[in-house]
Amino acid sequence: MDASFSADFGEVHALVGENGAGKSTMIKILSGVLRPDAGTLEVRGSPVTFRNPHDARALGVGTVFQELTLMPWMTVAENLFLRNEPQGRTGLIQRRRLAARADEVFGRLGIEGIDPYELPAGLSLAHRQVIEIARALLGDPDILFLDEPTSALAEQEVDWLFALVRSLREHGKCVIFTSHRWGEVANLADRITVFRNGEHVATRDRLTEGEAVTLMTGRTIDRMYPERQPVADGLPAALEVRDLRGERVQGVSFTLRRGEILGVGGLAGQGQRDLFMTLFGAHRQTGGELLIDGKAQRIRKPSDAIRQRMGIALVPEDRKTEGLMLPMSVRDNLTLAVLGRVAFYGVLKPRTEQAYVRRAVQRLHVQTTRPSVQEVATLSGGNQQKVLIGRWLIAQSDVLLLFDITRGVDVGTKHDIYELMMELVAEGKSLLFYSSETEEMARLCHRVLVMREGRIAAELAGEAADAEAIVAASLREHAA
Amino acid sequence: MTSGAESITAEPRWRQLLAYLTPDRRRVFYAFGAAILVFVVGELLHPGFASAESVKAILVIASFVGFVAAGQTFVILIGGIDLSVPWVLNAAAILLVTTSLGRDGRAAQAVLLTLALGLATGLLNGVGIAYFAVPAVVMTLGMNGIMEGLSLGLSKGLTCSSCASYAPPAVQDVVRTDVAGVPADLLLWLGITIMITFLLSATTFGRRIYAIGNNETASFLAGISVRVVTVALYMLSGLFAALAGIVLVGYGGQATLGMGDPYLFQSIAACVIGGISILGGRGHYLGTVAGSITLVALVSVLLAENMPDWGRSVVYGVSILFILLLYGRERRQL
Amino acid sequence: MTTAAETRPYRSRSRLQHFMIQSAPLLLALIILAGMGVLYVVLFYRQLSRFPGNFEWTSVVNTSMPLVFAGVGQSIVVLTRGLDLSVGGMIDLANGLAATHMHSGAGSMLGWSLLVLLVGAAGGAINGVLVAYGRLQPILVTLATLSIYQGLAIKVLPEPGGAVPIEYTKILANPNGPTSLVFVGFIAVVWFVFRRTRLGVDVYAIGNDEEAARAHGVRVRTIKIAAYVLSGMFAAAAGLFLAATTTSGDATSGDVFVLTSIAAVVLGGISFFGGRGNAVGTVAGAFVLTLLINVLFFANIDPLYQSFFQGLFLIVAVLLGTLIRRLVGLRG
Repeated sequence: MDASFSADFGEVHALVGENGAGKSTMIKILSGVLRPDAGTLEVRGSPVTFRNPHDARALGVGTVFQELTLMPWMTVAENLFLRNEPQGRTGLIQRRRLAARADEVFGRLGIEGIDPYELPAGLSLAHRQVIEIARALLGDPDILFLDEPTSALAEQEVDWLFALVRSLREHGKCVIFTSHRWGEVANLADRITVFRNGEHVATRDRLTEGEAVTLMTGRTIDRMYPERQPVADGLPAALEVRDLRGERVQGVSFTLRRGEILGVGGLAGQGQRDLFMTLFGAHRQTGGELLIDGKAQRIRKPSDAIRQRMGIALVPEDRKTEGLMLPMSVRDNLTLAVLGRVAFYGVLKPRTEQAYVRRAVQRLHVQTTRPSVQEVATLSGGNQQKVLIGRWLIAQSDVLLLFDITRGVDVGTKHDIYELMMELVAEGKSLLFYSSETEEMARLCHRVLVMREGRIAAELAGEAADAEAIVAASLREHAA
Repeated sequence: MTSGAESITAEPRWRQLLAYLTPDRRRVFYAFGAAILVFVVGELLHPGFASAESVKAILVIASFVGFVAAGQTFVILIGGIDLSVPWVLNAAAILLVTTSLGRDGRAAQAVLLTLALGLATGLLNGVGIAYFAVPAVVMTLGMNGIMEGLSLGLSKGLTCSSCASYAPPAVQDVVRTDVAGVPADLLLWLGITIMITFLLSATTFGRRIYAIGNNETASFLAGISVRVVTVALYMLSGLFAALAGIVLVGYGGQATLGMGDPYLFQSIAACVIGGISILGGRGHYLGTVAGSITLVALVSVLLAENMPDWGRSVVYGVSILFILLLYGRERRQL
Repeated sequence: MTTAAETRPYRSRSRLQHFMIQSAPLLLALIILAGMGVLYVVLFYRQLSRFPGNFEWTSVVNTSMPLVFAGVGQSIVVLTRGLDLSVGGMIDLANGLAATHMHSGAGSMLGWSLLVLLVGAAGGAINGVLVAYGRLQPILVTLATLSIYQGLAIKVLPEPGGAVPIEYTKILANPNGPTSLVFVGFIAVVWFVFRRTRLGVDVYAIGNDEEAARAHGVRVRTIKIAAYVLSGMFAAAAGLFLAATTTSGDATSGDVFVLTSIAAVVLGGISFFGGRGNAVGTVAGAFVLTLLINVLFFANIDPLYQSFFQGLFLIVAVLLGTLIRRLVGLRG
């Protein structure tokens, strides 16, 4: 993939592109985490090579990655000063001063509400993101990379960050950030670079959202997303959730109709993932009721959900850690949920299995030459995602819980997935859909529920459910 | 968008076959290669080492390791380990002789009871690990101590009246006689190998084992009962350790204290040499079989060399490291 | 979020509460130690109608010292999410070397002590390099080097024998009083310093999240080697203490420490997943294990059943730890 761009000091530069366009990879390379296969990197006019993150840091690069890298068993203060700890005269780290120093830093940056003695697990996702930002700033970087810094931040925190970024610009620093929210990009960026499929497409001073989307996807908005069919009326609800309670689910109620794509939106970390996991039986349900096809059911574990007459499937967020067995073959991964159906009293029937696999591979256009042997790890991100979805197609689930399934996936595969979703609902299946790209939810879903702190804060339907409205509803603070 | 789910007919047949030799399957071949190499070296150093009689003897000893390693294979495949094999084995041996009192009349009950003991300890191990989140190292370590204490205590240090009994003649026969020139014990091993290989490669249970070993979370989210499978595998491990105890005492005649100790290291090493990844999810029992043979052959070569005890230990350890470095290295992060 | 100045430090709960929650495993280890100590005193009194005196406490301390050192070394490796099974062999080797070569005279004692520690470091370095650069799993590497070091130990001291100078015993394993507690204090100080060095923080970081640590610039491979070197040195020290306590050498007396060092680490509340735990807990764990043997003795439990109770105790202690962790809301 061939990508180039440049940014200046005293500039705020935005990198935009879809999931899987290469923005995160670019940032990782520029931070010394990944090694580029080819190409040159120049900082302040001189060519450099980063062998490791250390080299990058030495040249004044600071980064806040998309995947938060807080050490789970170190306190906030310890995390904040990791590798940057205050040292006393003896050369030893002054642990006692860590918390006080943390307070100072938070005070200086205008951060409140974070206890330096707390462990990351006890913090909200937003706070964790804030700490990562603070940590990157500690090194007083000249070049600051922010990969999706606002995905979990509410309005007030976003304003705070923007003020920070603008202040950095005033001080002559270079800030490069990525975001899916067009409002932020337009608001903050001096220049915008568009990536698509790992390649640099354009760099402009000014872009409208429409132009940006066209550049990002290579198609106009209308042709990227398939035609959305209306939901048939009068059919019994596929799923009815009444006051569901679980780990971070504080009483959620909604109805999912047959043939409907229901979106679950809101800022990252507001309980959406827990809602999906609890519905699937992967997290414990502590209250509320679940009616599947009209009948109340107890779902205690995923196999309960899968084995319902109206089977439920979950395509989780991180296919590498939660979905696929990377060293196993495409075939093995595909048939995992239906082992009973491809075996005779426990003994596998190769031909039956082969038939299932072939059908799934063909329907999804998975690029694999030998599915019974080829390791899933060798497939591209898009194809991997298809295999994961394929598992649930084979299982013939009627209700699919899709959590951020287009993450890290190329444009072509994304389009295939959208088409597939439409096919599925045309067959009468029901989809619960979460995406980190609000635009996707706006275009694909019939209705969108906006979650906040484990509850449904708003419901948008039809025309009213456009990207702007969803973002607005997500950012709005709780009424006092 | 191309799709190609069938093998491309234009491809040469040998290329197709080669694709079926995944890295894990290749390791099985390497493991057998290592075994053959040891025999070759042994023959060079001591002509006669690779004679039929000598090979037979080595294979029989290897089968003991192989039985214990079978159980170990199962639990290592899901990323666990069983450190309780030494004293489950020992307890099984003691239980067998004291229950059967050296007579065939009670042989069947004795064997069943002993195997049940193995299953029971495995059950406890599995439940502790799967349902109570006790780390495998700790649970099986503790269980080893428990079995040691119970064995020593109940048998009064192996001085009880029935402790000096022999294994029932039937059992001794199974282990020591030949059937058409092949030791019955090896036939038993062969049968077990076939069963385990079939279980792992051709059944849904086997598929679930590999899935769990590769990604426990994803397996759970695909509807697999991780806990149930875990318990089942530790029960199998206990069963095989008990089986090894039965066979060993059939071979040696009487039970001794500490007879199970060498088998802990050897069972783990056999698995690893055979290509089973200690992290789980990869490997085949066939590899473990090869690993057992390699290990025992290696020890035999060292013994034949009249090397002092200390030298044997050192060479043993170095050889293991050498083999591991050859093909036991973990892959780079994906 | 405000702008500067006005913010007061925020605390979600008191510092003490934080400490209690985060140090729960360590506190549990100390409580178990206290409990075991009380149990020992009670049973001793019941048996002999007097309280344990200088002789008894000295004996407990001296017997525990080797395990204390072995356990602390193991702790460092476990913190990086590894395991060192070769400690048994290293203790054998150290024990053998000390018993065969050490003579009276400060020079010989000091010189050989340092040499033995160096041998421990070398052995640890071999482990570390194989794990870090060879990309072999720790359990496998150390299983193999265990065999190698055991072999070397037998070469050095084929039969139990040799002698350790009396002066040495007086220093490390004073039979007249529990002065060896000084060394426990020494370890506490060393640990205090360790946690405040870059090395210490890096060790914890690797155990927390190796990839994230690497992304932060931690030289993962170097630190891992350092961890195994330290483990080797502590194991060697344990061997020296063992030689001092037994006043002679036995090249197989260290083997048992493979499992007991792991048990001490577990009792000390250090997680096998790495990244959290305190070696002070391991020290407590080592004392607990020694006291346990005495407790069983004075409870008139048939010594043949000793392993039973040790195994059971280990499992129960871990279950207790898990239960407490769940109660205070710590995950895993």
